[in-house]
Amino acid sequence: MRTYLIRRLLGAIPLLLGISVVSFAFMQAVPGGPDALFARNGRMSDEQLAAIRQNLGLDQPVHVQYLKWLGGIARGDLGLSYVEFRPVREIIAERIPNTIQLVLAAILISLVLALLSGILQALRQYSAFDHLVSFFSFFGLAMPVFWFGLMLQLLFAIKLGWLPSADKVGLDAGFASYAKHLMLPTITLALGTVAGWSRYVRSSMLEVMRQDYVRTARAKGVRESSIISTHMLKNALIPFVTVVTLDLPFYFTGAVVTETVFSWPGMGRLFFDSLNSRDYPVLMGLLVFSAILIVFFNIIADLLYGYLDPRIKYG
Amino acid sequence: MEGMLEFNSNQEQVPALAESYEVSEDGLTYTFKLRKGVKWHDGKDFTAADVVATKNLIMDPKFGAFGQLGWEKITKMETPDPHTVVMTTKERYAPFLNYVGGGTISPKHLIDKGVDSFKQTFGNKPIGTGPYKFVRRQAGQAVDLEKYTEYWGGEPNLDKITYKTVPNDNTLLVQLRTGEVQLSTDVSAIRFQEAKKLPNSEVVLRNSQSWYHLDLKNIDFLTDKLVRQALDYATPSQQIIDRLLKGLAVPSVADQAPGTIYFNPNVKPRPYDLNKAAQLLKEAGFTKGGDGTLQKGSKPFEIEYWIPSGDQQSSQVQQVVAASWRKLGIKVDTRQEAINTIWGPNGYQFTKKMTAARYSWFNGNDPDDAFYWASSQIPKTPTGTGGNLPAYFNKYSFQAEIDKLTAQGVKEVDPEKRKQIYFKIQELLHEEVPVIFMYWPKSIYVAPKKLSGFNPSAYNGLLWNADEWSLQQ
Repeated sequence: MRTYLIRRLLGAIPLLLGISVVSFAFMQAVPGGPDALFARNGRMSDEQLAAIRQNLGLDQPVHVQYLKWLGGIARGDLGLSYVEFRPVREIIAERIPNTIQLVLAAILISLVLALLSGILQALRQYSAFDHLVSFFSFFGLAMPVFWFGLMLQLLFAIKLGWLPSADKVGLDAGFASYAKHLMLPTITLALGTVAGWSRYVRSSMLEVMRQDYVRTARAKGVRESSIISTHMLKNALIPFVTVVTLDLPFYFTGAVVTETVFSWPGMGRLFFDSLNSRDYPVLMGLLVFSAILIVFFNIIADLLYGYLDPRIKYG
Repeated sequence: MEGMLEFNSNQEQVPALAESYEVSEDGLTYTFKLRKGVKWHDGKDFTAADVVATKNLIMDPKFGAFGQLGWEKITKMETPDPHTVVMTTKERYAPFLNYVGGGTISPKHLIDKGVDSFKQTFGNKPIGTGPYKFVRRQAGQAVDLEKYTEYWGGEPNLDKITYKTVPNDNTLLVQLRTGEVQLSTDVSAIRFQEAKKLPNSEVVLRNSQSWYHLDLKNIDFLTDKLVRQALDYATPSQQIIDRLLKGLAVPSVADQAPGTIYFNPNVKPRPYDLNKAAQLLKEAGFTKGGDGTLQKGSKPFEIEYWIPSGDQQSSQVQQVVAASWRKLGIKVDTRQEAINTIWGPNGYQFTKKMTAARYSWFNGNDPDDAFYWASSQIPKTPTGTGGNLPAYFNKYSFQAEIDKLTAQGVKEVDPEKRKQIYFKIQELLHEEVPVIFMYWPKSIYVAPKKLSGFNPSAYNGLLWNADEWSLQQ
């Protein structure tokens, strides 16, 4: 187990290096680059432009720029933002807690709803309930997030006036206000996930229900509730856990639309803003951060497998 | 953030941290009398030493200031008493009052702690002398400001102002409707009708400082003044303003904004007149070929028309103008490119083809426009700086004249004489049409109906007169 973990972690290093090379190359491939904007911006002299290029390190050849950047990463230094002139690490660190709060809330809701509805649907296959939930699942999957978010704002903030339309407040504004601000973005973010995950739970439950060991358990008179919880659920959850674990990292950087619609100051919005302002160091920082998350959660998913299914051994 | 002088909404410089100023006869020495009793937000007194420290900071290469313009002309700086600053410049430089007089002054007691410390502390918690003081920054979201009761101009009316960025147009409109946002700048033109329907708000329009134009590369047929004038006659700017922009722009004749003191009201835009355009082209020696294409000698009149991609309005304007030019028999190839491409080393201005490119320049508060026209501002290489892009291959036929005028404009410190120089430049630009001047879009603000004193200025920050704002009950 320990050797397996170490091997996986070591294996991740060349993978991350590869990702960083590709990301860096893509940034460089954008024609013009950040200094082209400075050159036609206001009253700037050639000397000043050269000074800016030197300050930003843009006067160096691309591979030198990359190695410098990589050297910085090794020391935990992600560079300086072109726009804010603050360390990228600091800028990203400010946003992480905001995204975590939103993502945790959305995941909790999604897990509860997806498990409940998926299990009930499987137990009552082809019932009216099953059809109704299936209908809403497809509705949720098909709904464009920005449109759904806007509809929620129109209904709850303008028509009913119950909830704030956007923004985040801290707990110092009171728990009620905090929760109210969290409500609409959470629902928006959870919508697609609940829909997708409940389909997974439903189908893997259906598969498990037909297994011999379930029939055997029934035959020897085990209580139905215990069959559902121990025999069926634990087995049905193995593929589901993988799906959830692999989905998680995308939440952290993938909530771009939700965070933009609800002015939520998280990492997704940071990505959107940096893309607009061509703040390459911040973009690179976010890309590397999300690559690390994806690799990390992949390893977690593999480890969870072994925990849930004792037949799997790590050699 | 205040300077010694500030711009009001008519582009006039009025006293702020300085009560008055004097310029010597020879135009080389500026004496600023500073206001007494001004305190920084942390309670320390504002004095002449702060002005000196600010200059030293800006000129410090370690600080890496984006602009040293104006400040680098200072050869001597004296403070005969704590409320007087005397600056001597190495040459007559009229924009000095704008750049140095209007430059933000920073507190000496923070600058003295060193450049790195200043960047850190000041970046996280700026201290100024203005009517509102910084309370806190909510990362990526908002900045909270609170009234400064000791403000030299008197205690402001509003207790708090929260300044936030809303990343999405729809969300902004929703928040204006619910009252979560009460005042907004930079409302996009396509939201104008919607904004007008907001129940508790009113829409405020102001002329902006950006001018949309069509660059005409000074090459081939386009070096001929008659051809450039013909293209101007064939560009329906007023129709575009009326129909596509719903009136949210004012036509442009040259590079000074209407409503400013430097705008020459005697220069009138050319009307849209295809017959006149055709006649001018004929005078210039063009004939129509067999397929209807305009040609001179055996060379057809082909032009590339570039715009930044991703802007729906630009592409509508492009279609209208291209269609109009095609009516004259000109072959127009419309292209949409990313802004970095347009301004990068592979941009339109560095190919040998005839091109027009539409984008906007943004004027500073000073009328100095050498950046757009002077021969010193022709980029030396495709990655060099300078705004005189159309003249990259060939200087303008009127280059010597505009070089002289723009140089005079910078040297002339008498306001009235200076104005006359820029009037002349506008007449020259209108006659020569180095670029086709199209329009100045309006800036759209939304403000609560019960807010009084709101008077946004294109020449100053949004909060420039926030001490005069008040909410009626």
